Amino acid sequence: MKAVGSSAGVAQTQDIPASLFPSAAFYSPGRSYDEMFAADGSVRAHYVALQNRMSSLSPTELANRQRTLEQSFLLQGITFTVYGAEATTERIIPTDLFPRIIPAAEWAKIEAGLTQRLKALNLFLADIYGDQKILADGLVPRELILDAPSYRREMRGLYVPHNTYVNVSGADLIRDEAGEFAVLEDNLRVPSGVSYMLANRDAAKRTFPGTYRTANVRPVERYPDLLLATLKSLVADWRPNPQVVVMTPGVYNSAYYEHAYLARLMGTPLVEGRDLLVHDNMVYMRTTVGLRRIDVIYRRVDDDFIDPLTFRRDSGLGAAGLFNAYRAGNVAIANAPGTGVADDKAVYAYTPEIIRYYLSEEPILPIIETFLCREPSQLSHVLANLHKFVVKAVGASGGYGMLVGPHATVAERAEFAERIKADPDNYIAQPTIQLSTAPCLVDGRIEPRHVDLRPFVLAGQRIVVTPGALTRVALKRGSLVVNSSQGGGSKDTWVLADEDPVP
Amino acid sequence: MMLARVADSLYWIGRYVERAEHISRLSDVMLTATLDQNDAAVAVAQLALASIGGPDVEAAPYDAVHSLVFERENLGSVVTSLARARENARQVRDQITTETWERLNMLYLRVTDPRAEEAFTNGSSVFLHEIIADLHLFKGAADATMSHGEGWRFQLLGVHLERAQLIARLLEVCFGDRAGEKTLSDHRTQISVLRMACAMEPYLRLYTAEIQPQRMLEFLLFDEDFPRSIRFSTNRIEEHLTSLARRDQYYEGAEPDRLAARLSARLKFADMDETLGAGAILGTVVSECSRIHHAIYETFVAYPLEERLPA
Repeated sequence: MKAVGSSAGVAQTQDIPASLFPSAAFYSPGRSYDEMFAADGSVRAHYVALQNRMSSLSPTELANRQRTLEQSFLLQGITFTVYGAEATTERIIPTDLFPRIIPAAEWAKIEAGLTQRLKALNLFLADIYGDQKILADGLVPRELILDAPSYRREMRGLYVPHNTYVNVSGADLIRDEAGEFAVLEDNLRVPSGVSYMLANRDAAKRTFPGTYRTANVRPVERYPDLLLATLKSLVADWRPNPQVVVMTPGVYNSAYYEHAYLARLMGTPLVEGRDLLVHDNMVYMRTTVGLRRIDVIYRRVDDDFIDPLTFRRDSGLGAAGLFNAYRAGNVAIANAPGTGVADDKAVYAYTPEIIRYYLSEEPILPIIETFLCREPSQLSHVLANLHKFVVKAVGASGGYGMLVGPHATVAERAEFAERIKADPDNYIAQPTIQLSTAPCLVDGRIEPRHVDLRPFVLAGQRIVVTPGALTRVALKRGSLVVNSSQGGGSKDTWVLADEDPVP
Repeated sequence: MMLARVADSLYWIGRYVERAEHISRLSDVMLTATLDQNDAAVAVAQLALASIGGPDVEAAPYDAVHSLVFERENLGSVVTSLARARENARQVRDQITTETWERLNMLYLRVTDPRAEEAFTNGSSVFLHEIIADLHLFKGAADATMSHGEGWRFQLLGVHLERAQLIARLLEVCFGDRAGEKTLSDHRTQISVLRMACAMEPYLRLYTAEIQPQRMLEFLLFDEDFPRSIRFSTNRIEEHLTSLARRDQYYEGAEPDRLAARLSARLKFADMDETLGAGAILGTVVSECSRIHHAIYETFVAYPLEERLPA
């Protein structure tokens, strides 16, 4: 933002008003696929309207709009807290004002692909917590599943409504250099980010109202009521007016804003573990007029912490006895405990096989080629080509225990190779993928930044993919890391409706 | 029906915003009064600080006010109260409307901004006025956008219990047993005290500019229509608790609404003679409000579970 305020910046832009404007000369996405510009520098058809609007605004106007956007996020409290030595301050999650646009045909494929994946993964979970046919058939190694810390043997043989273990998911998709979407992670535990999708949309409508209207963007605003319907569908039919609650670890959790947001938009109480009480295998919450029974818990607390009697004993975030009430069928929990085993990084390598096994279909969306170091032949290939791979520890997340081969020194690679050899089961390797780029307003200039895509999928009696997504942005030039904990931002995602309007 | 924890937070939001408003107003009146260098100004500052058990009565008024507004260690300061109100609001963000939340959040961001102290130095009166105006906007937004149901009632219970206690303490230092006979002899002091209770204009309309301490006391204790008289607050407390108690299917004790009804009857049927030695009735108000506070907590928030378990 500095350049905008300085007199030098203003003078420059006044001389050459179009200089802010992305043309291939000023804007070089490199070898990545760019969402807006084709390789020859022309603007992709679905971005033309936005490009026209962008080039009609002066840098000052754009900066003002960006400021208004940030101000509204601050006011709404869409912030995270930064604890400093002197004082604690609130920062907003950086948000970019240019939407990322996805044409209808591309979306149709994503929608079909995600629906297929979630259907297969729910069947897979029902199987491994049930008859374990896929293990008996030897398609997935038995020890890979049963020895995983995210496999909850407590879930063996339990009734799960509609056999949908995963009700809420938010897969991470990326686009490779060729422009093809691929699934990077399935996120089947407690995925977050949906409130940013909704808040970004709200802001984008105010930032580019005309462009939004003419573009014919598909709405995302129904997510909260679809989520509520999904949650209610988990209740036994004989319970009239089921009581649904959102369970949060509390106000200090970094996703607290989202928990409160969803509770508010669904009109359900936002409870913490300390509000709950389990008596005779029923779950109650403490209200002003006494105890009130709960039927469905949309929990945003990890498996480990939901019930100190069953899982981690030191958890103060859960409710003692909750799992027993669940086992007795007196309360539904979404997502079901134990879904993490299906988004394990090693199991990920088997997902194309899992889809073929349960659905007898070819996977619609590809995954990133993954080498399992547990297999001796693949291990030797990985060790020989360590400079080309990203190696990840199976159990870790958030960028820990990871080696980015191309960026590592020889010594680092040698040291990491020893770690892999010592515990090959714990590592997988994937080729380094250049994520696609999209134009972002950075310090008053429009520059390409790497982005990914997180659509949100609900599964109850049926599977619903919300026509929109959170686009996460790596704000550092050239960086491929989009996590908000590592300086990532976000932007709105416009999924365009089909040319022919549906009657 | 709402979560007990949520009711508790809403109640505390009410208390904290009322406290922040009262301290801001007191500070403003103190600073304005001390622009004149005379005895009345000193008396005003001492009354104000004594009424809130303020920091150092000997301190220079400006320093005392600065501490009342910004001191994080001072648990009654404006910044602390607003931070706590906002923290409570964040914990019940799903229960209050966006309009209400945004008013409070914006005010919080403004007073905790690193430039806030500079703004205060450049114009303390403007700064304090804006805080009070923003708090009025907050209360207005709550009134205009929130359902006037259970949650709103808990919030207003907090507002009125806090208000009744604050006004009662202010009156105690002016009219209580330990107040000197000459405490309110000066016209400037009388006006300042009325301003501290935000009662200047309503008082003048009723009694004209012939200010008499006895009438001030009657007005601030017994007036039925003035929103900062103690009787007005106790009537609201009774009203909200009666309404809340009716919703309660289990609850038989009726403790908070009984206490509230007794207190408001005490004010309604008080003899005017009582204002001659007002210490007793003011002491009753403070202690009864404190009992109601505990009764609310024990009835709606931290009730014993054994009585409420389904058979």
